[in-house]
Amino acid sequence: MSAVAPGMIEAEGLVMRYPTGRLALDGATLAIAPGELVVVLGHNGSGKSTMLRCIAGLLRPTAGMVRVAGAELTRLTGRRLAEARMALGMIFQHAHLVRRRSVLTNVLCGTLGRHRSFGTSLGALPWSEAGFAEQCLDAVGLAPLARQRADTLSGGQAQRVAIARALAQRPRAMLADEPVASLDPEAAEEIMRLLRGLASDEGMPVVCVLHQPELARRYADRIMGLSQGRTMFLERAASVTPQLISALYEGRTA
Amino acid sequence: MNSVDRIVLPSDVRAQPRIPQASRALPFLGVLLFLVLLGQAAIVVQARPQDLISGAHGMADILRRSFPPDFSKIGDTFEPALETLDIALFGTTAAVIMALPLAVLAARNTTPARPFYAAARGIIALCRAVPDLVWALLFVTAVGLGPFPGALAVSVHSVGMLGRLFSEVVEDMDMGAVEALTMSGASRLQVFSHAVVPSVLPSLLGIALYRLDENIRSSLVLGFVGAGGLGFQLLTAMNLFQYRTVSLLLLVTFGIVIVAERLSAALRARIS
Repeated sequence: MSAVAPGMIEAEGLVMRYPTGRLALDGATLAIAPGELVVVLGHNGSGKSTMLRCIAGLLRPTAGMVRVAGAELTRLTGRRLAEARMALGMIFQHAHLVRRRSVLTNVLCGTLGRHRSFGTSLGALPWSEAGFAEQCLDAVGLAPLARQRADTLSGGQAQRVAIARALAQRPRAMLADEPVASLDPEAAEEIMRLLRGLASDEGMPVVCVLHQPELARRYADRIMGLSQGRTMFLERAASVTPQLISALYEGRTA
Repeated sequence: MNSVDRIVLPSDVRAQPRIPQASRALPFLGVLLFLVLLGQAAIVVQARPQDLISGAHGMADILRRSFPPDFSKIGDTFEPALETLDIALFGTTAAVIMALPLAVLAARNTTPARPFYAAARGIIALCRAVPDLVWALLFVTAVGLGPFPGALAVSVHSVGMLGRLFSEVVEDMDMGAVEALTMSGASRLQVFSHAVVPSVLPSLLGIALYRLDENIRSSLVLGFVGAGGLGFQLLTAMNLFQYRTVSLLLLVTFGIVIVAERLSAALRARIS
């Protein structure tokens, strides 16, 4: 469905020191190949969201390099950064839809970056993309709900619409920041299956921050464990043992 | 992390909660202070209940002379009534147009820069702090008698009221959609028109309708200082001791206020 070739995500030696002096991320290195799903685990404050935000270009790391599909995000600023960032689709813990608008309209908003014009700045929608937006909705299995208002959706459906909106952007890679943290188990499985599909079927690199080691082991190709900003392990999911995971979560008191 | 095998409660968790011994003197002192304040207020306003009693038959006299309302003049009330409504409509619409950009500047999450924020807050505070009656006095002096100074007064005061409420709505907005659209590569203006506007529009419309209803009531009063409409007719009839015209005008006023209130409430209920 995505017409754009997927690109690799590379992060090298990411260091993030906040102005308060706290070292949130201490030398994270990660390369995600097209078609690969990497799950990042760790307790609150371990630096996993910081790492994702550095990769997304929402935070500028103190040191280190992020390259997405060949473009070095950490060197770009302003308009160039915004354009390079469009290669990255992102979903969050909450769907962040515009509640009073229809599902299809919400998905169409994902294409705005490609349609910068006077009209769309004043609130007009790029209706020429309506067909494409419906395809994106179809990809997450929600085409029949296109005309429904976004605030009538369940949490799981809303998150799927958020994925469709990110797809409408034609991303070359997908980032997910705790996408299932506020969903029931069934909806969580559905979202994980979709992310898995984006990697396996569409060949996108996918990075997903999670709190559920069990979901990570079933869906990820590789799992990265972070604790206090340091990489504790980065292994194939099959070789991540329960001992390794409990060691990760006990790392805080140790 | 140590796992908890068995919960051991500290012994006083199960003890009866003790009611804290609050000082009894404090509420007593508070009531006393309030009574003193009330006493001085009664002296300052020269409250003399006996005047109400001795003035009772004067009032009864006015009521008798106001009855029945002079319905033959109902045709003459049409134009001032329209004027009153139009002052409110024009003033409110002008205020909404001016308050919208001000509110965006005066909301912490949408303002482009600190100086704009401070300036917008200042303008809003000034418009709001001066009552519309005072604005009307100023504008009557500036542009002369008539409905126009009334409309100006209504709109300037409303800019203050609306600007403040609008900016609160914008500040309380869920910023999630803004972040999501920014991340997808949308421009600042696109984020504004596609994420901010649709989420706040219904609240803004509700506030504007409520303001229109308030402004209809305040434009009635503005006539008293020469700003046209029913208020001006009321003042004239009072000065000419035409009490039957006064009672008719009051009835018309009452009708307009009730209808405006009901309509505005019904419309607001449909929006939300």
